[in-house]
Amino acid sequence: MKMDEQALIRRIQSGDEAAFEEIVSIYKHKIVNFLYQLTGDYERAVELAQETFMRVYFKAHRYREIAPFSSWIYTIASNLAKTDLKRRRRHNQVSLDDVQHRAYEDMLSTDNPERSGMEKNVQSALRGLHPRYRIPVILKDIEGFTQEEIAVMLKKPVGTIKARISRGRSYLKRELERAMA
Amino acid sequence: MEEYELLTRMERVEAPPGFEQRVMAQLGLRKQRRRKVRRLTLTLSTATAALAVVFISVNFLVLAPGSPDRMAGLEQDISPDFQADSRSTSRIHTIPITEALDFSGEIRQVTHEPRTIYILEQVSDRTDTRIIY
Repeated sequence: MKMDEQALIRRIQSGDEAAFEEIVSIYKHKIVNFLYQLTGDYERAVELAQETFMRVYFKAHRYREIAPFSSWIYTIASNLAKTDLKRRRRHNQVSLDDVQHRAYEDMLSTDNPERSGMEKNVQSALRGLHPRYRIPVILKDIEGFTQEEIAVMLKKPVGTIKARISRGRSYLKRELERAMA
Repeated sequence: MEEYELLTRMERVEAPPGFEQRVMAQLGLRKQRRRKVRRLTLTLSTATAALAVVFISVNFLVLAPGSPDRMAGLEQDISPDFQADSRSTSRIHTIPITEALDFSGEIRQVTHEPRTIYILEQVSDRTDTRIIY
């Protein structure tokens, strides 16, 4: 798969749109899910995912094969999410998209009430985490990257990433205990 | 670690149907926009370069100052009285002064300070002295 991906990237770098479409179909669910976990807003996550893929196409010439392509695309996505979160915090926006987000959550809760109740607590606790801790926790525990890969993506030392993941998990544990009490 | 297990077992969301088509449509729009911007930038830079060429040509070829010989006779045009004086004192031996001006040097030394104009004037009535610089 990785060898195919490298070939696809090389084709995208020479402007091949068919190769780009293939990359989009490979990564669309992962990137949308990742951005949803970060932002908590499904519509926003879809918009940011589209922007991520736009940047993948137009900045493909900047990609170096020293790191896996997945790290690079997740880096773009997390940078976009960070910028968006900062902007929204500043403006304190409440949009109609939040209504759809709640509708999506309601959809989840009708499927499996018991499990979804706990999931809601986890999601709520996750959203309470500062992005500095939230991003590494999501990348490690949900997306399955190694700490070394996350360190490269976020351009931080591995020790810093370990510390942030540990602190993020402690916070989640505390919040979940509080929710269950 | 329980919270870790909860995170890994969390329900994952997916991209909506037609996501790829939306992305490809947006790609087409962006490419169009970039082509327009590139065309506009090229047009503006060409226009600016052409304007610069015209400006330089007009400045140096059309509006260029006259030859040094003409400049040397300029003091006569500045002071009409000079001609009258020169006729009345025709027995004064006049030394013609031709000073070649270095135009490129003049341009290099251009400053925003007001230009200094040197007016040569006879300060002595003694006729048997030559003007010494």
